[in-house]
Amino acid sequence: MLSVETLRDWGADVDEALVRCLNNESFYLMLVQKAVKDPNFDRLPEAIAAGDPGKAFEAAHALKGVMANLALTPICKPVQEITELLRSRTDTDYAPLLSEISAQRDSLTQLF
Amino acid sequence: MNNRTHAGRMPDLQERNRMRRILIIEDEFVNRELLKAYLEDKYELLIAETGAEALEAVRKHFDTLSLVMLDLILPDMHGLDILREIKQDPDLSRIPVIVLTGDTESEVESLNIGASDFISKPYPRVEVILARIRRSIELSENRDLIRGTELDQLTGLYNREYFYRYAEQYDLYHREEDTDALVVDINHFRLINERYGKAYADVVLQQLGAGLLAAVKENGGIVCRREADTFQVYCPHREDYDAFAEEITAAASEGLKGRIRTRIGVYSRVDKSIDMERRFDRAKSAADTIRNSFSVSVAVYDNALHEKEVYAERLLDDFQEALTQKQFTVFFQPKYDIRPEAPVLSGAEALVRWKHPELGMISPGVFIPLFENNGLIRDLDNYVWREAAAQIRRWKDTLGHAVPVSVNVSRIDMLDPELTETLRNLVEENRLEYGDLHLEITESAYTQDAEHIIQIVSGLRELGFKIEMDDFGSGYSSLNMISTLPIDALKLDMLFIRTAFSENGNIRMLEISLDISRCLSVPMIAEGVETEEQMLTLKRMGCDIVQGYYFSKPVPAEEFERFLFQN
Repeated sequence: MLSVETLRDWGADVDEALVRCLNNESFYLMLVQKAVKDPNFDRLPEAIAAGDPGKAFEAAHALKGVMANLALTPICKPVQEITELLRSRTDTDYAPLLSEISAQRDSLTQLF
Repeated sequence: MNNRTHAGRMPDLQERNRMRRILIIEDEFVNRELLKAYLEDKYELLIAETGAEALEAVRKHFDTLSLVMLDLILPDMHGLDILREIKQDPDLSRIPVIVLTGDTESEVESLNIGASDFISKPYPRVEVILARIRRSIELSENRDLIRGTELDQLTGLYNREYFYRYAEQYDLYHREEDTDALVVDINHFRLINERYGKAYADVVLQQLGAGLLAAVKENGGIVCRREADTFQVYCPHREDYDAFAEEITAAASEGLKGRIRTRIGVYSRVDKSIDMERRFDRAKSAADTIRNSFSVSVAVYDNALHEKEVYAERLLDDFQEALTQKQFTVFFQPKYDIRPEAPVLSGAEALVRWKHPELGMISPGVFIPLFENNGLIRDLDNYVWREAAAQIRRWKDTLGHAVPVSVNVSRIDMLDPELTETLRNLVEENRLEYGDLHLEITESAYTQDAEHIIQIVSGLRELGFKIEMDDFGSGYSSLNMISTLPIDALKLDMLFIRTAFSENGNIRMLEISLDISRCLSVPMIAEGVETEEQMLTLKRMGCDIVQGYYFSKPVPAEEFERFLFQN
């Protein structure tokens, strides 16, 4: 069951996020449900696979903003890391970070 | 057609009470929803999710948008490109843009392109967001208000004062550049107004203003409407303005049935050490030189023009001193009665010469028109009359006799209410006969103020003065008028003589003029006679008196005595 408490247990900084959502819990929960379906979760690995770091950076960056706004910390961390690496077009194996992001996303989805 | 977009629209009362409008350009659902939640109570919101939607919305609502919030990452284009488009379009550029970015590099670039602020993610407190939005809107609206007072209402161009300030700023940003100052005028604008009405004339001004604005947008520079039909442009140097003149004239005449002509005065490669106003004064004086030209539309202020102005000012400044120091001397040119076998000296004309201590001899052709235009001619003429009268007295005393001397009385002297008094006193003080001093009055004076002149002249004749009509043939007298004029001699214009004797000239005209003088029973004096042939022809025709280089150029009093002795 997705609720403020389960989100807090999951690791989201709920208090910060609620302020940002004008202290409206249902508003926050609605946004979290939408955030989890963000198309950038797919665009990111696709772009990396296609060898397009520019597109990958944009996808990661967009994702970072949304996750940060909703204080979904466990996803924020790996997304932030991958954004920085992509910004400087670092040549590295992105697979670990990608699977981390994917895993965290899955764990969030399981709360619903 | 909106000529005032860079002023922004002034909202009417009803509009001001409605909420201001903000466009949010953001493709991420979550971010969008958060912003909507923050703003929807306070602002009317427009939403765009792609770059294309965004540009469409901005263009559609440009005159009612108070602010744009722009996310930099959009599916179809980069937000910076949209920002650039907005800031470079004159219709859109006044709209403040807050960039939504979480990225320091983009922040700086956004600001450089013209964003007024940025908000990064995660979003700051809603109070902070609202405050920043408010501040951006206020700054932009204040700027619009100031702009309102900077602009000319009709054309949307800068008005004169602000133009000068911006021109000075322009200098700061273009220190190394050669810059030109232009003054653009519409020829005979007053006639256009009268003939076609004010509404038409206003359109001409608007179209010319728009044409000038387009030109400076393309080539650099700034433009203003100085006043009435005069515009000023400050722009990078150009060698040739003919194409420019054609372009702006075409723009001004667009769709109108009358012909519009513009004249452009150019002060080229301005001297940046002189006042901005003076630079445009020079451009204006160049424009004035072609005020009535039908063929020339561009005039360049050059040093010759400048020097003429400086010279003229110098002469005006030096006049008073010249008068007191007697730098002016009166020369005398003899007049000969050519009817007898051998010509007989019958009189002289008094002519003024100026020997300037530094500038040397200055031609009367230069200083007389100058003084006529500046009201100094009265003092000069009075001086000449005094000297002439005194000289006649001297001759009478030393030589026992003298000849009548004619002095010039200009149209402006005629306006002096003391004229008759002054002349009478001169005669009395020098114990002369009234007939000793002849008064030469030019024909054009009669035709311009006929009644007034005739009245004064009649009065002078009654006292005993003899009146010579000078430059006969150069005025516009009708035959009817001539028959009634109170004169004692007709003096034929020098140019008239020269033309008559020239290749394409007609001697018949001289004969006719002589007939007129005979008809009026007055002697004919021919001035400017240079050759024996001319003199003999005139003699054969029956001309009475001849004055000119054939006999002598004007000479100082001492030299003139020689002629008196010969008599």
